[in-house]
Amino acid sequence: MEKIVYNDQGLFHPGHVACGGCAEALSLRVILNTMGKNTIGVVSPSCTAVICGGYPMTSTSIPIFHTTLETAAAAAAGVRQALEARGEGDTQVLCLAGDGGTYDIGLQALSSAAERNEDILYVCFDNEGYMNTGGQKSSSTPTGARTGSTPTGKTTHKKNLVEILAAHRIPYIATASPSDLNDLRTKVERARDMRGMRVIIVLIPCLPGWGIADDSAVATARLAVETGLWPMVEIFDGRDWRLTHRRGTRSVAEYLKGQKRYNHLQTDDIEALGREVDEGWELLNARLGQGPAGGSGNPQHRAAANTG
Amino acid sequence: MDDLPSPLWTYLTSDNRLTGTWRSALPRHRDVPSPCRGACPVDGHIAEWIGQIRDGDMHKAWLTLVANNPFPAVIGRVCHHPCQSVCNRSELDETVSIRSLERHVGDHAIAQGWRLPAPGPATGRKVAIVGGGPAGLSAAWQLMRRGHAVTLFEASDAPGGLLRSGIPSYRLDKAVLDAEIARITQYGLDLRCGERISGRAGLEKLRKDFDAVYLATGASRPRHLPGLAPDSALARDGLAMDGAEFLRQTNAGETPPLGRHVVVIGGGSAAMDVARSARRLGHDVTILALEAEETLPAQRDEVIEAREEGISLVTGARVRAIEPAVTPRVAGLTLVCEKVRFIPGARRGEFTVEALADSAFDIDADAIVTAIGQDADPGIWDGLITADGALASTGDSWQTDLPGVFAGGDLASMDRFVSAAIGMGKEAAEAIDTYLNKAADHEAVNAPEVRFDEINTAYHPPAPRQIQENRPVEERLDSFIEVQLPLAAEQALAEAERCFSCGTCIYCDNCYVYCPDMAVIRLERGYEIRTDYCKGCGLCVAECPTGAVRMMAEVQ
Repeated sequence: MEKIVYNDQGLFHPGHVACGGCAEALSLRVILNTMGKNTIGVVSPSCTAVICGGYPMTSTSIPIFHTTLETAAAAAAGVRQALEARGEGDTQVLCLAGDGGTYDIGLQALSSAAERNEDILYVCFDNEGYMNTGGQKSSSTPTGARTGSTPTGKTTHKKNLVEILAAHRIPYIATASPSDLNDLRTKVERARDMRGMRVIIVLIPCLPGWGIADDSAVATARLAVETGLWPMVEIFDGRDWRLTHRRGTRSVAEYLKGQKRYNHLQTDDIEALGREVDEGWELLNARLGQGPAGGSGNPQHRAAANTG
Repeated sequence: MDDLPSPLWTYLTSDNRLTGTWRSALPRHRDVPSPCRGACPVDGHIAEWIGQIRDGDMHKAWLTLVANNPFPAVIGRVCHHPCQSVCNRSELDETVSIRSLERHVGDHAIAQGWRLPAPGPATGRKVAIVGGGPAGLSAAWQLMRRGHAVTLFEASDAPGGLLRSGIPSYRLDKAVLDAEIARITQYGLDLRCGERISGRAGLEKLRKDFDAVYLATGASRPRHLPGLAPDSALARDGLAMDGAEFLRQTNAGETPPLGRHVVVIGGGSAAMDVARSARRLGHDVTILALEAEETLPAQRDEVIEAREEGISLVTGARVRAIEPAVTPRVAGLTLVCEKVRFIPGARRGEFTVEALADSAFDIDADAIVTAIGQDADPGIWDGLITADGALASTGDSWQTDLPGVFAGGDLASMDRFVSAAIGMGKEAAEAIDTYLNKAADHEAVNAPEVRFDEINTAYHPPAPRQIQENRPVEERLDSFIEVQLPLAAEQALAEAERCFSCGTCIYCDNCYVYCPDMAVIRLERGYEIRTDYCKGCGLCVAECPTGAVRMMAEVQ
């Protein structure tokens, strides 16, 4: 059995107010401790804001700048510029946002920062909805999922943020899952050691929002990977696509049946979702074949410089 | 910042917020019994020693094994392995080859010449053991390691019991048996071979000379069929023989003078042993058993291997009469047989049969060997201990109604398996220890066993079982060379990797890294839950690969 290894330096503290069993908290723990102490966090309103904060307490041993929902990436870029001005170029800027602040409300700021290739690591905790405010749909909510604002199931597709980001040709994009913490750690390390705009999207099964048991966030994320619903990829310079986990072969139905947000789905709906997953993989497979070295080039030394 | 906190900045860490108050149940790390251990007659800590093989510590694995069974190399060859029938892994792909792994460790220990760990401080108590079979030797080792002085009386000229006189060398090489027994005798055992203890006076003297007595005289009285007993005309003419006597002779290197075609009557392991030994001595062999093939008491592998070696099986049938052969030039005897339906009784060894109409048939034979089981003879103590039929009556903890006298093995149980005898020897030794110390110090395991659904199989990818090969048939029949070949070292390691380690912490850190609340602390060996912060979510339980963490109600 492969052991999960990372050096917990105590940068994330107990006593935070994430729901018991929250996969975002355990992912944040890996990310903070992998980034190290020489990091400044920038957080927009989200579950992360609640987990890190709760004035007058903080659960992190790094400074966190709480900003507005529209401006996570812009604020992070500002912090970056301030650090450069002070000659503290070694300090990493870690932007943490939810899918609402990334796919929807903060997309303009994210796109602009990406276009300018700002030197920040942007992590999106994607729990597929506005789960912190009662569970409304976001543009990341998948087809069919029931949320507070889509009581009969969402009729539109989940936005393909990975494609949007790849179109910006930024140095590094990755997707990750709390079911594979070694992979998450490796991706954070890789991003940490690069410069320029880097984005990691972590799937976070939301216990109340998805209607799953307190102890099942990791198992649900694992199923998302093993059913092919959540492809695990790395993209270098927007062109060189790699898979970090082969496409799983378990049935999509197996993933759906454990979640209350999909309880209402009929067989037809489930089959349609299965087709959507297949289509996503057709597109992804086409991308995997088009990299500069057929998708197998060396990921080292691909960092694009940003001197600010 | 120095005096008054800025309203813009947090000034406390969340450690001050005790989220443990959210919790309704608390996870606990505990070693929970695995199903294999529950099924093991010696209560072997199987998950633990397989984990030690996996960690590359063969010596520790061996020490874990011998704590419950001083014969891993023997049992790794001949055990009926009830552990493998209940292995949780069989619900994922195939059971773990526990017996093959046990042999692997046992053989390694013999090759390395490892000695048993030093005994505890001497207690000054003396125990007599009557019978040097697996039960007696197991009890001897368990008593000696607890510091008691043990004298073992063995009627024959060498210890081992059925392991020596009953199990043929092609299943258990005598060198292996000798090596494992020598470890026990060299441990300080006062071994008295050739001393038969019997009768009221014999037992009374032991009671006087020793602080406790353990009777493990085995089952040495063969059951007979009418007309085939040792005093029958057929036996006198060399046409009929008892199976136990046949095996005693062949195990001693003698060749019983029987004609070419031997019919073996019986369907248990002993019948298979007789048949396959006879085959190795050049006989044509037919086995005649009451039971249908799928319910034969012999182990399935033995039946398959007997067939491979060219032995004919006639099952669900019995002999009605034995007559001189119609064509004496072919064979001396004709067995008039009929087909039957075998109906097992309530207790092991009890049964009834119904003959099937118009099913008569004949089998020609030059000799008949009867191997239908053996009984103990508790009568040899002249009624000093109470008997129930052919078994000594024992209450709790193998104690007879005579104070200080314990009984076990085939003398006190119909569980006719070597591992069961070793387990009974161990249990009796613990009971004797308690009796001698006038105190109970043996902890009972009563947590429920780990179920398959408590194992997170995401951490156990499917992996085919490692096959322990047999020697090719053509190489087997020339001699009594062992049939089973050992696992290669890399096979053993791969097989050890397959074990789920049900209920046994493997220190994988999953509980630690998956805790969203930093509420699991790593200790030097093991983990502790920080009750101040644990929210009781159960992720550590769900992501434990072995089922060693369970949610428990908290004591208020």
